[in-house]
Amino acid sequence: MEHFLLRVVVPLSIGSLRLDITQAVIIMWVSCMLLGLLFFLSVRQVGMIPRGVRNILEAILLFIREDIVKRNLGLEGTCYFPFVATLFLFVLISNWIGLFPHSFTATSNINVPAALAFLVFAYVQVEGIRRKGFLGYLRHYAPEGIPPALYPIMIPIEIISTLAKPFSLAVRLFANMLAGHMVILVFLGMTATGVWFLKAVPLCGAVVMAMFEIFVGLIQAYIFSMLTAIYLSEAVGAE
Amino acid sequence: MESVAYAWLASGLAIGMAALGAGIGMGYLVGKGLEGVSRQPEAAGSIQRLMVMGIAFVEALALYGLVIAFFLVFKT
Repeated sequence: MEHFLLRVVVPLSIGSLRLDITQAVIIMWVSCMLLGLLFFLSVRQVGMIPRGVRNILEAILLFIREDIVKRNLGLEGTCYFPFVATLFLFVLISNWIGLFPHSFTATSNINVPAALAFLVFAYVQVEGIRRKGFLGYLRHYAPEGIPPALYPIMIPIEIISTLAKPFSLAVRLFANMLAGHMVILVFLGMTATGVWFLKAVPLCGAVVMAMFEIFVGLIQAYIFSMLTAIYLSEAVGAE
Repeated sequence: MESVAYAWLASGLAIGMAALGAGIGMGYLVGKGLEGVSRQPEAAGSIQRLMVMGIAFVEALALYGLVIAFFLVFKT
């Protein structure tokens, strides 16, 4: 369990507000710099024909634009593409960087997915107000085609479901990352005990789970950005 | 001492029951997906993608139980 606890590297606090730089913060900086480096290397290339790492980045970004953004938000939703793509790439890199030994999965700490989900929640509400006006935004809580007698029931349900969305978004990512890495940890812990000829069995389990985690990290990044696009389309889309 | 035993029992029950529900749901998902693919093999790509996405949603429910189980085991 101690592998998943935060270790303070540089203590830092303003009054009673603790802003310690933990190993999760450092890992997030590393993943941001890694992303920046990848994009720097690929953007520096000139010409239409991509080479090297630019192939992968172009394929990923094209997939996000066509399959996640345009499918949910339509053609005019392309202005949300940078937001969704940034979320996708950050979650993906954070998930994958935790698979390296002596590293740390930033998304397996509840604070990081909660911050990302709160960002998505706030952005969706702000965009809903900006696109539809404040009255149109409030209208969203009382759907069309429902008799006004049901409003006292429907409006609290809509408010609760709106507030539950970022919660489920955060807990899904957190639980997947924590559980997957915890299973690897449990398998590796089994190799420390037991007779020598049985140690290979949990080791194979750990290897298989690590390979599965690569897939899970990709799927979770996809789902996180997909749900962001769906929430945006609910807030922004046709009334 | 007894409360620790109850916590271990509860952690076992948590992951077991979470896996039970998620297993039933995943079985429905994959079964219906296979049915759709065998009925319409040309739509296999999009069916498979939607199915994997649905499986990830269902799997998250089982993982909530796993996280609770881990907390129960390690917090005692």
